[in-house]
Amino acid sequence: MLVMGVESSCDETAVSILRDGKDVLANTVLSQIDIHKAYGGVVPEIASREHVKGVTMVFDTALKEGGVSFEDIDLIAVTEGPGLIGSLLIGINAAKIVSLNYDIPLVGVHHIAGHIYANNIEHDLEFPLLALIVSGGHTELVLMREHYRFEKIGETQDDAVGEAYDKIARVLGLSYPGGPEVDKRSREGEELYEFPRPMIDTDDYDFSFSGLKSHVINLHHNMLQRGETINVNAFCRSFQEAVTDVLVEKTKKAIDAYSVKGLIVAGGVAANSGLRKKMKANVTDIPVYFPSLRFCTDNAAMIAAAGYFKHQTLKHTDHYDLNGHSRLDLAKEGL
Amino acid sequence: MRKSSKTLVIDTATDYLYLAYLEDGIVKDDVHEPGKNDHSVKVVPKIKVILDKNKCALTDINQVIIGIGPGSYTGVRIGVSIAKMIGYMNDVDVYRVSTLALMATASKAEYIVPFIDARRGNAYMALYKQSGDTLSVIKEDRIENIDAFFSRITFMYDKVMTQKPNPEKLFNSEGLLTKVDDIHALAPNYMQITEAERNLRKKHAN
Repeated sequence: MLVMGVESSCDETAVSILRDGKDVLANTVLSQIDIHKAYGGVVPEIASREHVKGVTMVFDTALKEGGVSFEDIDLIAVTEGPGLIGSLLIGINAAKIVSLNYDIPLVGVHHIAGHIYANNIEHDLEFPLLALIVSGGHTELVLMREHYRFEKIGETQDDAVGEAYDKIARVLGLSYPGGPEVDKRSREGEELYEFPRPMIDTDDYDFSFSGLKSHVINLHHNMLQRGETINVNAFCRSFQEAVTDVLVEKTKKAIDAYSVKGLIVAGGVAANSGLRKKMKANVTDIPVYFPSLRFCTDNAAMIAAAGYFKHQTLKHTDHYDLNGHSRLDLAKEGL
Repeated sequence: MRKSSKTLVIDTATDYLYLAYLEDGIVKDDVHEPGKNDHSVKVVPKIKVILDKNKCALTDINQVIIGIGPGSYTGVRIGVSIAKMIGYMNDVDVYRVSTLALMATASKAEYIVPFIDARRGNAYMALYKQSGDTLSVIKEDRIENIDAFFSRITFMYDKVMTQKPNPEKLFNSEGLLTKVDDIHALAPNYMQITEAERNLRKKHAN
């Protein structure tokens, strides 16, 4: 079964073609990152404009890369949310008109389900399974007892972890996107500062990063006021150690509580080298999977993979009135 | 522009969702209904309804006319994305038309001002002159202060906001339809850069 995936929830226009939810024939991503760099973050209106500009070219590139035509596609899966609404609507309407033109069944997919299923491209998921989702928009622990059923057991109470990274990077004068830059510099710095580990000992599986972020920003501000030299690499290292300590500790707690057979880490921050290293060092009794880097950031292969399993598991298809949703509950995705 | 064809007209740049199905330049069916920010939900279903009613598949359409704005940014992008995809998938001719010109086809008056509110006292407007079934542009599409624009018009005119267009007139009028040479390059006419771009330019200028 050939599934075409379409993703446009933020600043990447992407189309992929997968065979049977695993075999990637094409994975085209048109990234706008260089355009948004000048603004220090994604500008929603600019993102939407870029999606319209690039939409047909991305389909064309994916079909050529996969060596297939629209007539070969058996299912079209598209991100319906969560994300930037103006951006989502471009991918959704493109997918709907493809569906109508070629009479291909359509399925709307939750973006986070996509990040989880990015892992299934490279290894079969084994249940029960714990997924840690970490990105610019999300920080969540999700339990899966079977295919395409999601139970959110914990989430951030304020900032997403990637968002905290971007803000710290901006304060330190690093370029956007901040995550990779902070990660790179932390490898060259020492942990000179003792930063708090918010909620590390609480009985739940929730997170909070806004207090840590403020702590870092205040220290930076005070040091500047006192005329002290800022050791940027040490700031990055100390911040990254604090963040990854919390992520690893909470994840370990959930692994023990739910006796899961495997852990997957997904989302843009899954590319973070500090998190990868610490998680693998601390979780040794069950397999820990990180998707390859090209499937960590937003892509449509993950949407095609999730769409395939949604269609297979739930026998679900959507109608042409499918709409985009800036917010969308993952727990309802599997119902 | 061929009249002998099956043409689909799409405009989603205003509060009204507008679709028309034409055969040989004659409107066979149309949809013109006010929306509540729900063009995204309705456009594709309505395209299916209008085509099914006329026993025409989307793949039978051999030309598309797309309203490229100005108007609602989110709205116009929905229609333009769909038109781009139809043109690309089926390798058919796509013609772009100003949403204001398309609106002007609704009127029977000699002088016509199509009007889309743009908030803060501004509107997207233009001035068209009609003789017979032919429209010509007197004042090009613009975003301008409403009072300033109308204070300069000293003759009778018909202000068009919600009337149903008559796209048959587009074929008779010079220069209202423009053939899209590269479908990948088709984009809405926003008339304005984004606020973020404006602020960035200001910052660089200082």
